[in-house]
Amino acid sequence: MQLCKFKWDIMNFQPNATSGMGVDDNSKNTFLELKRKKIHRYVIFKIEEKKKEVVVEKTGGPAESYDDFTASLPDNDCRYAVYDYDFVTSDNCQKSKIFFIAWSPSTSRIRSKMLYATSKDRIRRDLDGIHYEVQATDPTEMDLEVLRDRAN
Amino acid sequence: MAQLSETYACAPSTERGRGILISGDPKSNSILYCNGRSVLIRYLDRPLHVHVYGEHGYPVTVARYSPNGEWIASADVSGTVRIWGTHNEFVLKKDFKVLSGRIDDLQWSADGMRIVACGDGKGKSLVRTFMWDSGSTVGDFDGHSRRVLSCDFKPTRPFRIVTCGEDFLVNLYEGPPFKFKLSIRDHSNFVNCVRFSPDGNKFITVSSDKKGLIYDAKTGDKMGEFSSEDGHTGSIYAVSWNPDSKQVLTVSADKSAKVWEISEDGNGKVVKTLVCSETGAVEDMLVGCLWQNDHLITVSLGGIINIFSTSDLDQAPSSFSGHMKNVTTLTVLKNNQKMLSSSYDGIIIRWIQGVGYSGKIIHKDIPQIKCLVAVEEEIVTSGFDNKVWRIPLSDGECGDAEYVDVGSQPMDVSLAISSPRLALVSTDSGVVLLNGAKVVSNIKLGFPVTACAIAPDGSEAIVGGRDGKLHIYSVSGDTLKEEAVLEKHRGAITVIEYSPDVSMFASADGFHESVVWDRASKEVKLNNMLFHTARLNCLAWSPNSTLVATGSLDTCVVIYEIGKPASSRITIKHAHLGGVYGLAFIDDLNVVSSGEDASVRVWRLTQE
Repeated sequence: MQLCKFKWDIMNFQPNATSGMGVDDNSKNTFLELKRKKIHRYVIFKIEEKKKEVVVEKTGGPAESYDDFTASLPDNDCRYAVYDYDFVTSDNCQKSKIFFIAWSPSTSRIRSKMLYATSKDRIRRDLDGIHYEVQATDPTEMDLEVLRDRAN
Repeated sequence: MAQLSETYACAPSTERGRGILISGDPKSNSILYCNGRSVLIRYLDRPLHVHVYGEHGYPVTVARYSPNGEWIASADVSGTVRIWGTHNEFVLKKDFKVLSGRIDDLQWSADGMRIVACGDGKGKSLVRTFMWDSGSTVGDFDGHSRRVLSCDFKPTRPFRIVTCGEDFLVNLYEGPPFKFKLSIRDHSNFVNCVRFSPDGNKFITVSSDKKGLIYDAKTGDKMGEFSSEDGHTGSIYAVSWNPDSKQVLTVSADKSAKVWEISEDGNGKVVKTLVCSETGAVEDMLVGCLWQNDHLITVSLGGIINIFSTSDLDQAPSSFSGHMKNVTTLTVLKNNQKMLSSSYDGIIIRWIQGVGYSGKIIHKDIPQIKCLVAVEEEIVTSGFDNKVWRIPLSDGECGDAEYVDVGSQPMDVSLAISSPRLALVSTDSGVVLLNGAKVVSNIKLGFPVTACAIAPDGSEAIVGGRDGKLHIYSVSGDTLKEEAVLEKHRGAITVIEYSPDVSMFASADGFHESVVWDRASKEVKLNNMLFHTARLNCLAWSPNSTLVATGSLDTCVVIYEIGKPASSRITIKHAHLGGVYGLAFIDDLNVVSSGEDASVRVWRLTQE
């Protein structure tokens, strides 16, 4: 009986190939603030292995640029990020799209890449309202042009 | 932004023992020929603007304009024919798999509705005629047992198709729908080319038995032949009629082209012999010809295209050429703004900006070239053997070369620009320092060296290995002392270059990354130069040391500016089909690149 219960717990807790990371409330709230009230230009999330949670590492104010955002991402470690991209379409409308960026540089440790890859689904489900997702393994893959091409 | 300003096109690809077919459009004064997987359209009055069609997946053999000049049909070695528009960016109309083997000749009918293609194949599929828009077959073509080398449509009614091939036969078919009519076996060797006269009265066949025979176009009866007096002394590879159907041009392996007068009763007499060979070497065998408007165009085995003027056959022809194979190195000679490009088959060509082809540098001792560096008065090259050659260059003529054996195949050669007697050669086991033509020292480094560079004053050398590490050595006399090891690259280092002001150096690797380092502090100066997607083959600095250009196997050239982030780069996409292998800056605004499509292109950079 104990064995069955144990298996049931595991099956419930990890339906797919997920790592069992939780998303803490602060992360969700910060994302909602970016989406609704537009007080952040970007939010960078980090996985705290010990707490088994995805937490907010850094946020950027609305005046910050894309270069400030890319500079806040570490060169050798993975992160998740949400960026609010403002642009003008060909028929002159001001639009804004939210990008989810899975930053997984090829120079980071394998363990880090595995962890972030398996937890990505969990966090995507909780962050409702993302328009586009970008997976970037080096700085050229999350170049501003890539975002521009995707949005148009 | 970068714009293409000039193209120094490749020469037609040739094969010894076979003719090639070039065609053209009299209305737009252009000629069409093929090299590798590209079809080149060259305008005779604008030689520096060349259009290239590179959509074939296999080497292209022949391309022809349709009679109305709107479409081009091109065929390749897989038996596929592609029909595409001349204007509107070469939009594809249709492509058909016509034969099961390579296609050797292709002709449009005079009304542009049917196309006949002939070549190699199995059994029935040696010749096929089909409607140009639907591809449905129009006729049965039995009668040949070996490769069919050439075919032609009779331009006037009653329509006929004539084919000729390696089985020494010339076959005549009538239709449409085309059926076998008769077979002629007058030649004693491969029949290389058959052409109807533009007025539709006669056709001529030329053969490797050195004869040319003239037949009546309607009945197929033999009318006459080329007179043997003053005839060709080698296989005749191609024939081309004059638009007024009275004269023909033939080219032959005896290195001459002849103009024949064809009389009404069908006999040919030599009017003029055009000799275009200076050295009489194998490369001067003529393999292709075309008579267009007032120009007689001949192509030699070495890829030289000569254009004679009909009005004055004695005048020396204007000739131009290009590379036929992958152009692997490119350098700019600073004092006279000439560019030298070399391909692995040992051909070095000199180009002048604004003019184009300026001559070949031929040296009998150099069969193949892998690395080449040049300073004002000499060229240093290495091939696939163990030798490094030094050739003095004066006024574009080669002096006597001297060579030095370095023990194993050189991977990279670098000259100390300020004292060019010093050279650094990298091999699989280490580096070799050369002074003039003597080995100063042979230093075993213990790791396979893939790229090397020596500072202009010869005091410092940077060596890159297959593991991606950069080793910096100081050079004193004949020894190297290791000063630092830089680790950042993730693939084998392919090229290292010092900046002209010697304050920086740039390195590129096989993992599509390049890095600019500060020479004194050994710190990274420009990071994230990752905008290529395949191995980096070449790298060049602008004369003012502010721009770095990198060329890659992914066919793009990317130009970065020192001081600005790597993301604000200029990309030239699809610079060369197959990959970019050579890069150099002519001045601060003009970049020249060369690649596997055997062409050299000059790009003009403009500030946005």
